[in-house]
Amino acid sequence: MRAKVAVLVFPGTNSEIETWRICRDVGLDTHVVHWSQAASLPNYDAYVLPGGFAYEDRVRAGAIPAHDPMMDYVIEGAQSGKLVLGVCNGAQIVLEAGLVPGTGAVRKPTAAFTRNAAAHFVCKHVYLKLTIPPERCAITAALSPHALIPAWAAHGEGRLAATDEHLREITDGGHLAFVYAHADGSVDERAVPNGSALGCAGLTNREGNVLAIMPHPERDAWNYNHPDRRQTDNILAPSGGVMLFAAFAQALERL
Amino acid sequence: MRSFPVNGLSDDELRAQAARTGLALRVDELRRIAERLGRDPSIVEAHAFDAQWSEHCSYKSSRHLLRKLPTEGPTVMQGPAEDAGILHLGEVHGSRWGVVIAHESHNHPSQVVPFEGAATGVGGIVRDVLCMGAEVIAIADPLRFGRVEDPESHQRYVAQGVVDGIAAYGNAIGIPNIAGDAYFDERFDDNCLVNVVALGLIREQDIIHSAAPPGSEGWDIVLVGKATDTSGFGGAAFSSVTLDEADEDANKGAVQVPDPFLKNVIMRATYRVFEYLRERKITVGFKDLGAGGIMGCSAEICSSGGYGAIVDLDDVNTAMKNMPPEVIAVGETQERLCWVLPGEVTPDVLRIYNEEFSLPQIARGACATVIGAVQGEKRYVLRHGDEIVMDVPIDFLTGSIRDELPVRPMSERKVTDPARRYVVGEHDAAQLLVRVLEHRDVCSREPMYVRYDGAVRGTTVIPRGYASAGVIAPIMGSPLGVALAVAGNPRMSKADPYLAAAYAVLEAVRKVVSVGARPLGLTDCLNFGNPQNIEHYSELVHAIDGIGAAARELGTPYVSGNVSLYNESKTGNAISASPIIACVGGIDDVSNVVTATLKHAGSALFLLGRPQNAVGGAAFAELLEQTGGPVPPIDYERAIAEIAFFRAAADAGFIRSARSVGNGGVLATLAQMAFPTLQPGHKPLGLNVLPARAWAGDGVGEIEAYFGECGGFVIEASGEDAQALASIAAEHVVLMRIGEVTSNCVMRVAGAALDLRTLYDRWSKPLTEVYP
Repeated sequence: MRAKVAVLVFPGTNSEIETWRICRDVGLDTHVVHWSQAASLPNYDAYVLPGGFAYEDRVRAGAIPAHDPMMDYVIEGAQSGKLVLGVCNGAQIVLEAGLVPGTGAVRKPTAAFTRNAAAHFVCKHVYLKLTIPPERCAITAALSPHALIPAWAAHGEGRLAATDEHLREITDGGHLAFVYAHADGSVDERAVPNGSALGCAGLTNREGNVLAIMPHPERDAWNYNHPDRRQTDNILAPSGGVMLFAAFAQALERL
Repeated sequence: MRSFPVNGLSDDELRAQAARTGLALRVDELRRIAERLGRDPSIVEAHAFDAQWSEHCSYKSSRHLLRKLPTEGPTVMQGPAEDAGILHLGEVHGSRWGVVIAHESHNHPSQVVPFEGAATGVGGIVRDVLCMGAEVIAIADPLRFGRVEDPESHQRYVAQGVVDGIAAYGNAIGIPNIAGDAYFDERFDDNCLVNVVALGLIREQDIIHSAAPPGSEGWDIVLVGKATDTSGFGGAAFSSVTLDEADEDANKGAVQVPDPFLKNVIMRATYRVFEYLRERKITVGFKDLGAGGIMGCSAEICSSGGYGAIVDLDDVNTAMKNMPPEVIAVGETQERLCWVLPGEVTPDVLRIYNEEFSLPQIARGACATVIGAVQGEKRYVLRHGDEIVMDVPIDFLTGSIRDELPVRPMSERKVTDPARRYVVGEHDAAQLLVRVLEHRDVCSREPMYVRYDGAVRGTTVIPRGYASAGVIAPIMGSPLGVALAVAGNPRMSKADPYLAAAYAVLEAVRKVVSVGARPLGLTDCLNFGNPQNIEHYSELVHAIDGIGAAARELGTPYVSGNVSLYNESKTGNAISASPIIACVGGIDDVSNVVTATLKHAGSALFLLGRPQNAVGGAAFAELLEQTGGPVPPIDYERAIAEIAFFRAAADAGFIRSARSVGNGGVLATLAQMAFPTLQPGHKPLGLNVLPARAWAGDGVGEIEAYFGECGGFVIEASGEDAQALASIAAEHVVLMRIGEVTSNCVMRVAGAALDLRTLYDRWSKPLTEVYP
C-alpha cells in the first residue's frame, strides 16, 4: 500500500499546494490536512509541514504553532518513529517543538531559526548541500553523499542561533544535515543568505526520522522552474529539488 | 434621522459645513442631492454620496475619456466593467482558461503611512481579482518615489516603508511578486506612487460577476471578514483631494489597517466556497469591499443586477460598540468581501467561513454574517437601531456623473522644445557607461525585490531580475505560461506626456515579447495631478490619447484600469504625468521562454530596432545635464514588424537570450545580460561591442546609439544562425550585428576593456544604501 502523507495547514500556512503537488508527483498518497481536521492526523504515515507564516510569526516564527493541537499528533508520531519533514516555516515549527535538533525536551527548543542577519525577508535561489552521511537521516538515506539540491530561500527568520554549547551538540551529534552552498558545491559565507550559524540550512534529530530545512526545494522542483538549466524535454516533469522528496518517498517505502 | 442641512444655507455656509464634516462633495453636488431627494440628506446619506461621487468611485472627470480606449479583441474574455478584466490564455482539456488582471494605485495612503498604505494596496488588488471567482497567482508593483539620498528625509522613509509593506503583505498571503519597476524623481517628493497589479486564474465557466444575479430578489447579502472598525473612514474622498499637511492626523485615520494573516485564511476559505458553489452549479454575486465600504459594495452589487438593497447596520460585526452609522456604512476596514447568496446555501457558506476556517478564532470579531437582502424596489436603504438612516434611489447613488473640465488642445501640449539646441558633445562612452549603470533609474533593483517572495506557489518560471518580464506556469499539468511586465517612464513624461504614454504601452508590450510571449492585453493606472488644474487635466487627456493610440496600433486591448488624480501636495508640487501600463502575455509552452542571461561564448549579438538621435528623457542626457531633445515619434509599422520578427525568431529557437532595451540604453542592457553569469557556479562571460558607427545608421551619434532608451531588443544568437536570422528579417525590420559574447568577463566597448565585475559592483550598489 502507498504511504499516506499529511501536508499540514496551520492558520497562515501558504505553501501547501506546491508541497502537496511534489509529494504527489513522487508517488505518495498525499492529503492536505487543515487545522479543523486535526483529529484525522493519527491515520497518516508521515507529516510534511510546509512554508508560510503560521499564526502570523507571532513571538518568533514557529513558536505559537508549535503549541497548536495538530503538533500533539506530530510530536507523538515523531516519537513513535514516523517521518516528519518541515520546510521553511515548517522547519521553524519543528524546531520550536523541540523535535530538531532534539537535544532538549519537547517544546523546549535548544536553538532557534531567528531574524536573518540582514534583518529583513530574503528571497534568493540557493543550494542545499548534504553534510551528513546520507543514511544518518532516514529522509536523506537515498541521496548520494554531498548531494546538492537547488531550492529557494524565502524567509525573514532563517538564521540558526544557539549557545556555543548547543552548537557543539549540533555538530558533534551529526544534526547538521544541510549547509548552504554555491551551484558548484563550494561553500563559503557568500552562499549563506541569512548569516545562519554553521552555515546551517537543515537539521535532523538523533533518531534521524525528523528533518527540518529552511529553503524550499519544492519551488525548484519541476523543469519549468529553471529555464536556463533545462535539460530534458518534458517541461512539466519533476527535477532539481524533487531529489529530496524522492528520497523522502523512498524512505517511506522502506518503512 | 440626523440630517445634513443643505436647503436654506448659503454657498459659503454649505462649503464650510462640508469641510467641517470632512466631506469632499462640492456645493453644486450637495444641492443636486437635496433637490433629487426632495429634502436635506441625512448625515449617513451625505457620507455615502461623498464616497460614491468621489473621483475614486465615480471617475467623474475621466470616465468619458477612458471610453476612447480600445477594449475589444479576440483575447478579451471580459472587458473593463467590473473589479478586474479577464484575458483568454488558452485551452486545457476543453476548458477555456482566463487570466484575470486588476491594477490599482494606493498613492495617498502610502505617502502618509507608507507601510500600511502599501500593504493595503496589495490587499485591495488581491480582493479585486479574488472576487471574480479566481485563484490569485501573481502580483507586481510599479513604484515612483522622490529623492531618497537624505537618510533623514520623509522620501526615504516612504521608499523603505512601501517596500516593506508590499513584502509583508504579499509574502504572508503567499502570492509571488514577479514584476515591477521603480523610478526616483523630485517630482514625487511630496507624492509617491504605489501601483499594484494582481493576476488571477479562472476557467471561463467559473467566472463570478459583481452583480446580484437575475431572480435574486430576497436573497441574502452576506458580509465576510474583519470586524468593521473606524479605520479607513473617508478613504475614497481622501484619495480624491490633494494632500494637505495640516490634516495629517485626519489623513492617517483615513488609511486602512492591513491584516494579511486574516486575509490568507479568508482567501483559502473563499477558494473552498468557490469549490462548493461550482459543485452545485449555483450562480451568485460576489464583490470586494473597497471605497465606500459596506454601503458602496452592497449598493453597487445590487444596482448592477438591476435591484435595490436593504442593509441592517445592527447586523454588521463591529469591533466596538456604539459606532456611528455613517462609519459602519462607509468606513473602509480592510479584509472584507460581500456575497449575494440564495437563502438555501447561506448556512453552508457561513459554516465554511466560521467553522471550517474558524474566522472568529483567527481574528477578534471576524466572521461571515447576513447583513441584509436584495430587494426588487430600486432603492438603497440602511437601517440602524429603530431608524432608517438612508433611503435613496439606488441608481442615483451609483449612477454615472460627469464633470466638464477645460482642456488644452493637443497642439498646445507642453513638450521639450525640439528647436532648442541640444549637443551631446564628445564623451568617453566607456566612462559614461559606468555612470549610467549607477543612475538611480538604471541600477539594480535587487535590494528591493529580494524582500519579496518571488517563488511561492512553485509556479515561477522567470523570477524578477532574470528578464524584462516575469513568467509563471500557473495551471497544474499544463505548459501554458503567463508573462507580466510594467512600464511608464516619468523622465520621458517631462519631455512629452503624450509620447511618454505611448512609449509606456510599447515598452510594456516589448518586455512581454522579450520572454517569448504573445501580448494578450493591457491595464492602465493613470496617475496625475489635480484635474481642476488645466495643465494637469490636459496631461491626462493627452496621455489617454497616447495610450489609446499605441494600444490600437499594437492590437492590445485594455481590460481594466484605474485613475488616480489629485497627486500633488498643497504646495502645488504635482507629480510627473504617470500613465503606468501593465501587459499580460501568453505562452503556449513554457519550454520556449527566452531569458535574459547570456548563454554561450562565441554567440553573435544583435540589435533589433534602429537607434535615433532624439533621446528625450534618457538617463544619460540627465547625467550630462542635457534635455536630450524631443522624444522620438513612434514608427508603429516598424515596431510591429520588429515584434513579429522577434516572435518568429523565438518560435524557431534562434534566440539564446534577449532583453528589451530599456533604461540606460543598449550598453546598459548588454551589461545586465552578462551580470548573472558572474554568480558562482556559472561560466563568466564577456562582451565585445562593435563601434556604434558600424551599426547605428547614418547620422546617428555614437552616444545616442549606446545610451538612447527608445527601444528595440538586444538578441543573442548562435553565429551559425546569424544568416538564417537575417533572412527572416522582413522589409521593415532593422537587425544589426552589434558584437559577440566572449569568455573573459570583460566588456570591450569604445576602445576600452571594462572589468564586468567592477561594472556589476557599481550597478548593484546604489540602492543598497536605501535598502540595506
